[in-house]
This record gives sequence, C-alpha cells and structure tokens, in this order.
Amino acid sequence: MEAQTTTGKFVVPIGPQHPALKEPGHFEFTVDGEIVTGASVRLGFVHRGIEKGAEARNWVQNMYMVERVCGICSHVHATAYALGVEQLAGVTAPPRAQAIRELVAELERVHSHMLWLGVAAHEGGFDTLFMYSWRDRETVMDLLEAICGNRVHYSVNLLGGVKYDIDDKLADQLRKGVDFLEGRCEHYMKVVTTDETFVGRTKNVGKMSKEEAYELGSVGPTARASGVDRDIRIDAPYVSYEQFPVKLITDDAGDLQARFVVRIKELYESFRLIREILDHMPEGELTVKVPRRIPAGEAISRVEAPRGELLYFLKSNGTDIPDRVKIRTPSLCNWSSVVNYAVGHKLADMPMLLAGIDPCFSCNDRSVTIHRGGNVQNDWSWEQLRQYGIAYYR
Amino acid sequence: MFRGLWTTFKSMFEKPVTVAYPEQKRPVRERFKGRHVLKRYDNGLEKCIGCALCAAACPSDAIFVEASENTDEQRYSPGERYASTYEINMLRCIYCGFCEDACPTEAIVLGDNYELSFTGRNQAIYDKNMLLEPVPSGGLPTPQVTEPGRFTRSVPEMKDPVD
Repeated sequence: MEAQTTTGKFVVPIGPQHPALKEPGHFEFTVDGEIVTGASVRLGFVHRGIEKGAEARNWVQNMYMVERVCGICSHVHATAYALGVEQLAGVTAPPRAQAIRELVAELERVHSHMLWLGVAAHEGGFDTLFMYSWRDRETVMDLLEAICGNRVHYSVNLLGGVKYDIDDKLADQLRKGVDFLEGRCEHYMKVVTTDETFVGRTKNVGKMSKEEAYELGSVGPTARASGVDRDIRIDAPYVSYEQFPVKLITDDAGDLQARFVVRIKELYESFRLIREILDHMPEGELTVKVPRRIPAGEAISRVEAPRGELLYFLKSNGTDIPDRVKIRTPSLCNWSSVVNYAVGHKLADMPMLLAGIDPCFSCNDRSVTIHRGGNVQNDWSWEQLRQYGIAYYR
Repeated sequence: MFRGLWTTFKSMFEKPVTVAYPEQKRPVRERFKGRHVLKRYDNGLEKCIGCALCAAACPSDAIFVEASENTDEQRYSPGERYASTYEINMLRCIYCGFCEDACPTEAIVLGDNYELSFTGRNQAIYDKNMLLEPVPSGGLPTPQVTEPGRFTRSVPEMKDPVD
C-alpha cells in the first residue's frame, strides 16, 4: 500500500481498487508522518463513453441514455437534457409538467442528501447515523417508487413534458412521508451540531474560504458551505423555480461541519417546496408535442443537481440524431477543492474530506483536457487512437 | 450516555424495518414496471397482432417481432396477422414502458415480476412462450379454428386506459 519515492517523500497511493473505496478512483497523498502535505487525484476509471454513445442514438433514446449517467441524480440529468431539446425545438412543457419536474427533482435531492449523510457518517466511523439515515431514506425511495414505479431511474421526464401525474391520493402520501422525514432531519441536525465525537471530527476540518471556493470553481453545497451564493435554482430559474422559489442556504464556516449543516438545511427547504408544490399544483396538460427532427442549432441548459451545477450542451444538425451532447457534471468541478483543502490534515481525515464534496464517481466519467503550457501535445485524434489501439492489442 | 442507551432500549420494541426477502415479499407499486407479459383476450386469442410498433419504439432495440398471416383454420389473434416470433432480450431491456405505450392493442404490458435471473446470455432472450400469459378460463389455446368473417378487426374498441 505504501511506496517510498527516491526524493524522500512518502506517498500513500489509494485505489483504484481499494477496500475503502466503493468506486474506482486513484488518490496519491504525500505524507510527512501523519500529516498530508500534498494530494493528487486521477479519475476516469469508469469511462463508459456516454457522450459518444449519444451521437449514435436519436433524441428520444438519448433521454434514457443520459438518465443512466448517474444513478443518484438521474432525474436532473434527464431534466437538463429535456430542457435543452425543448429549447432547440422551440416548445415549452406545460406548467403542470414543470411543477412535477420540480417536485421530483426536490424529492431526488432529499434522497441524494440523505444518502450522502449516511455515506459521510460512515466514512467518519459513525455507522449509527449511516444506518438511521439510510433507513429513513427508504421513505423517500418509496415515495419516488409510488410516483414513477422505479426506485432508481425514475424516467419521469419526456421530451416536452412528464409521464406521470400526481393525484390526490399520491399527494397525501407524499405529504405524510415529508412530515415524517422533516421530524427525522431535525434529529440529524441535532446530532450533527451537538454530538461530541462527530463535531470533533468535522469542526474546523477541511476549511475552505470563500475566495478559495471561487478560485477553485466549487459548485453546489460544497461552495455554499463556504459562503458562495451560487445556486442555479435562484440564479437562472428553470422548470417552475420561478413560481415556487427556493431560498438560498449558505454557511460562512467553510469547514466539514458546514457542509453537513448546509445539506440538512437544504433538506428542510426541499420539504417546504414539496408541500408548496403539492398545495398549488397548476392544472392542465402533461405533455406537448415535440417534433421528431429537432431544428439545427445549439443549446445550453443548466440545472442544479444535488451535487451542484450540471450543464448540458446540445448541438443539433436538423436530424433526429444529435450532433454533440456535452455533459459537465458537478462532482468533477469539486475535486480541485478537495485536493486543495486536504493539505495539512491527518491521513485519517481523508475519507471524510473526500466524502465531504459528495463525490459521484459516475459523474467523473468525463474527459478533462489539462493545459500544462509549453508544447505538450495531449490531444489525440480518432485515427491516432485507433492506431494506438491496434498496436496495443497486437 | 443514558440518552443514547434509552434510544437503544426504545428501538428494541420497534417493528423491524427490513423485510425477510425471499420468504416475505413486499407488494410492488401500482406503477412498477417489471417483466413483460403478452396478454390474451377472454376467448384465448392473443392480443398481439405482430405490428412491431413496440420494436420501433424500443430505445434499446431489445424487442424482435416477426409477423405471419392468420387464417381461420389457424387463428392466433384477431385480424390478419399475428406475431410468430416475439423475443425480448432482457439484458438489453431498460423497462421504460415505451412498448406498452406504443402497443395499439394493449397486448404487451409490463407486469409485476422482478425476479429475473439467468446463467447465460442465451437465457436472457425471452421468447413468446415465456412471455404469453396462460389461457384464461373459458378460453381456448391458440391456434384456434374460428368461423370466417368474425375476427376481421385487429384493433379492438377501447376506452381510455387508466394508468
């Protein structure tokens, strides 16, 4: 597990296959005794070629493709994609569909944050909280299953609307579930802010100032925990966030505890929003017709995934198959902040610091071009790659 | 510490939240989409008319349909044609339910079964015999011998489906 380098630095490599990692990622920590003096990260072990695969499928099929980018935030991926396609096609989904999209997005946020709360507590050696939060997460999973029949890939979205309606019976079920979860979350808030062992592990650990967060391009709750007021739901309201606005939640502490607090407060906000949407659900149709061939053009759509800003770039050439689908996922933007604030902490804090940004490894299935300066040619053409592949397997 | 122990003590009397699967099974939700079922009419005729609209709608190309002609001596479904081959590759299927939406006769329905397991890729291809539901009581198995001119219409009169 440990390697001695010639420069006298002690490097602890973790991964890509490691018992403590659930998903593949490679981290190298340079340590001086117990203290980490440098960190680097290598990603892309789960590359599946989704963006390239999207170029071979039509617009409707891609809806399902992008949902499978990530199992936890599948709804926001589909929403971002659908919004982009609707923008290209020049249609808008009816208000009721928009409201249902927002409702499911908020339920998904609840489910994602509760999952993260459990994972982060588990990394911190606090398995009781992990068990409790995952038990209560079942409530929201059941609600999602009641809405759309699936626990993981909800596929609520269609191009130009949504598939599933919310009736009164379902609304009551949702209200009841949300009431229960709100009570539980108050309990978690108390645990996270008062439990001595937990506070000892999170308070003043992994501090990131507001300036650093700006500079490193942090997104989502990680940035908001450092006091950066950045939330796409407020900055550029999509679906029905204009009608049902969300309150911005920030925390100035910037440490690991602040990330817990921000996420749990966001849960409260989501519960409030879900109730508000259920009480004031607009009436009307669920879908509008979207043409099979999407007019040529380019579109960018941004949504706030549970982990931060998610960006889709779509390019159409007027046929029923997209020219380019570019996905920028939130986890990828947050890695630089981890590498930065890990320095100076004990090696034992690393799992929790890594979990602090809510890393999603399937989000990391993206290619990143790093410009090192100078004349280093890192870009390979399709033909070069092919030749390399042939030579490699010869 | 006593507060912590009190929580432990209280949870001793709580009902367990886990289900002892596979001895006990949790009922599936109304909108759950499980393994496909090919439906029959009450008289035993298959609803599927082999139009292959489901195969066209499928986002993952999981369905393969081949149609043949019906005759009155060997009638499988109402109308002119029936599906002589109907295969779904369960490894490709993403259970989106588009085939259900596309079907003009409500022949294919995503059912309740979620217990799919295979030991080989070949076993993942479910053919028509595995997908067809059993003949309802009072119906006859297909192919049936029917009087001419009775089953000329392939798409039945339907009301708006609920859910």
